[in-house]
Amino acid sequence: MSCTKMLCQECATQWDGIWHCAPCLGAKRGKKTRRAPVLSWLSVIIVSLACLYLGARVMVWTGAVIAGLF
Amino acid sequence: MIRTPLSTTSVLDEACDAVSMTASPWAALMILTALPYRFLQAMFLDQLFEVGAEASHYGNLLGLTANITVVAILVALWGRAVYSRACRLAITRSETPGREALRVPLVALASYILTSSTAMLLGYVSLFTVIGFLAAIIFSGLAIGTMELNESVSLTAPFRLLFHYAKTMRILIALALVFFCAVFVALVNVAAAFQLGAWLASAIGGFDAPRWNVLFSPGNRRFLLMLFTGAIVLVEPFWVAAHVIYVRKAGAAENGDDLRAWFEELQRAS
Repeated sequence: MSCTKMLCQECATQWDGIWHCAPCLGAKRGKKTRRAPVLSWLSVIIVSLACLYLGARVMVWTGAVIAGLF
Repeated sequence: MIRTPLSTTSVLDEACDAVSMTASPWAALMILTALPYRFLQAMFLDQLFEVGAEASHYGNLLGLTANITVVAILVALWGRAVYSRACRLAITRSETPGREALRVPLVALASYILTSSTAMLLGYVSLFTVIGFLAAIIFSGLAIGTMELNESVSLTAPFRLLFHYAKTMRILIALALVFFCAVFVALVNVAAAFQLGAWLASAIGGFDAPRWNVLFSPGNRRFLLMLFTGAIVLVEPFWVAAHVIYVRKAGAAENGDDLRAWFEELQRAS
C-alpha cells in the first residue's frame, strides 16, 4: 500500500498483485498516465541495440583471444 | 507476504517456495525460451574449441554464431521477464499465477533489455578479470529483480534502481557464490540423469549402448558443453526467483513492512 496504513483484508483491494486501500486505488485509477517521450524510447532502443551488437563483437573478440592463449 | 528479515538464507528459502509455485508452466516457459540461447552459446564455444588458436582466421563463422546468439538472447530475456513477473505474483498471492504473468509492462521489458544487454557487454569485456565477470553476473541478477519497478522509460532510471538495491552487496555476493556452486551440483545431477537414461535404454533391444556410453563420457567435449548448458538452465529459475525476492525484501526493509510482518508473527505466536 502506498499510504502504508494498516488495513484489514476486507478493506483492501488487490490490483496487479499489490494491496491498495480505497483512496490509494482511487488516486491510482485517476492518475493520468504519463506518456513517455519518444526521445526516451528511441534512446533506450538505440543503446540496447548498440550494447547487443557490441556484445556480439566483444564475444567473438574475447573468444578468439582466449582460444589463442591455448 | 514478507516472512523473515533480509538474509541470504531467507532469500534462498523463499526462492525455493516461489519456484515450486511457478514451476508449471512459468519456469518451463523460461527454460524453453532460454534453450536456443544456451544451445547457441554451447555451439559458439564448441566452434571456438574446434578452431583453437586459429580462431582469429574464422571471424565470419564465429561472428555469425555470435549474431544469432544475440537474437536468441532477446527471446530468452522475454522468457526471464515473464518468469520474474510470475514469481512476484506468486509470492504476493501465495498461489500459481495465471495468464496475467504474460502481461509484462512494455516499459519494464524495455528497461530490462537495456540493463541486461549492458550487463552482457560488461561481462564479455571483463571476462579476463574474474571479479569483473562476477560483478556483471550480480548486475544481471539485479536487473531482473528490479525489472518491474521501472515505471517510465529512461536511460538512467533503471541503472539508478540497480545501484539503489546494490547497497547490501554482501547478500548479492553470497547469492552469486551459492549459485556458482549450485551449477556444479546441477551438473553432477544432469550427468547422473544421462547415465541413468543410457543404462535404462540399454535394456531395450536394438539400442546401441556401447556407442552411447562413449558419447556420454567426459572425454566428449560436446557432451560436457551440454551438461554445463543443462546445469545452467536448471539453476536459472532459482537464480531469477532469488533476485526477485531479494529486491522485494530489500524494499520491504526500507519501508518497515518487514518489521510489521515480524511483529504480527510474534503476536500470533504469543
